[in-house]
Amino acid sequence: MHTPPFIRTPIAVLALALASTLVVALGGCASTPVPSTQMAVAEAAVQSANTGSTSADAPRELQLAMDKLAMARQAVSSKDFERAAQLADEAQIDAQVAELHAQSTRSRKAAQESQDAARVLREEITRKTVR
Amino acid sequence: MTTRHFVLAALAAATLAACSTVPDRNDALVDARARVTAAQSNPQVATLAPDELQRATESLRVAQKAWSDGDKTATVNHLSYMTVQRVAVATQTASSRASQAVTAGAAADRDKMRLAARTDEAETAQRQLAASQQNNAQKSAELAAAEATAVFDRDRVERSRARAAELEAQLAELNAKKTERGIVVTLGDVLFDSGQSRLLPEGVRNMAKLAAVFKSDPQRRASIEGHTDSVGTSRSNADLSQRRADAVMAALLREGVAADHLSTQGYGEENPTADNGTASGRQMNRRVEIVFAPERDDIIVK
Repeated sequence: MHTPPFIRTPIAVLALALASTLVVALGGCASTPVPSTQMAVAEAAVQSANTGSTSADAPRELQLAMDKLAMARQAVSSKDFERAAQLADEAQIDAQVAELHAQSTRSRKAAQESQDAARVLREEITRKTVR
Repeated sequence: MTTRHFVLAALAAATLAACSTVPDRNDALVDARARVTAAQSNPQVATLAPDELQRATESLRVAQKAWSDGDKTATVNHLSYMTVQRVAVATQTASSRASQAVTAGAAADRDKMRLAARTDEAETAQRQLAASQQNNAQKSAELAAAEATAVFDRDRVERSRARAAELEAQLAELNAKKTERGIVVTLGDVLFDSGQSRLLPEGVRNMAKLAAVFKSDPQRRASIEGHTDSVGTSRSNADLSQRRADAVMAALLREGVAADHLSTQGYGEENPTADNGTASGRQMNRRVEIVFAPERDDIIVK
């Protein structure tokens, strides 16, 4: 069997090993598949969050989620799948935050109204009792 | 070492370095760590959103591992961002739940107040009802008392009427006469021994009838008045008339009439009822009169 001359030295063996590692490392960086599941989840999350009350009570948060989803789609188009996956994850969590932000705002208003109603009732009862 | 070998090694090192630059610090990760720590020390988040807080904490762990593993800055930044947003999820969830608890508490407060107010109203109504019932009971009692009084009055009137009727019947037997001074029963001369004050048996029987009048009407008072004709001295006549009146009173006392309802008076010859010039007139003048004083009840006797 004929062996190429440069592999016959130990340094040559080391260089070959390094080159193999490089190929594997580059492959690791670039072998991200199309993040179709993450994209679907993100689309669904943004769609679910995109309601009248969310756009009323958390407009900035909702806009952020929608922008993030648009960027994810763009990353998919430009084959930057790793970035697309990250953006999809971020769009999904942003949508969730927007929804929860709107919900906590509504809950806070409801609590305030409920407390006001209780106060009004208390005053009414007190007035009745005094009378 | 050949030049070709060196170039290969250098290229490999450079590629690895580009893939895993490890800077001293990552600001996004520092920020994420700070937020997780703040959320963990927030009692509301720790209590009301423990699962969400746990996911944020796990997310931070993954980001830190990526950083210490020398992952790309973009990856660490991404994982840090995810951590920050998961902290936001935990915080907002806790906030919502706290507000919902406040709402529920306020609703419970309102229910409690309404219940208390209604209980109050019911108690007031109960008190008013009880007061009204007591008032009714009092009025009923007053009415019953009034009715009882009316019945009593009617009974008293009836008794009084009956007594008066009985009295009248008894007095009729004694030939009683109604006069201005009251009812007068005259005991004639024939009931006494001539010139004496002793009652004859016929007179004693009359006394029994008179005593019956007092028994049927115990409150009745009477004055016993003795009279004579004009024969003899006025002094002796007065004396005789007094003794005869006393004799009648004694007889009545023996029949059980109370002494304090009787009085006596001897008028002698002062009050003749007939002419002393004839024998029959003189006999009529010799008499004892029992005068029953008029009573309140007599007014209603027809």
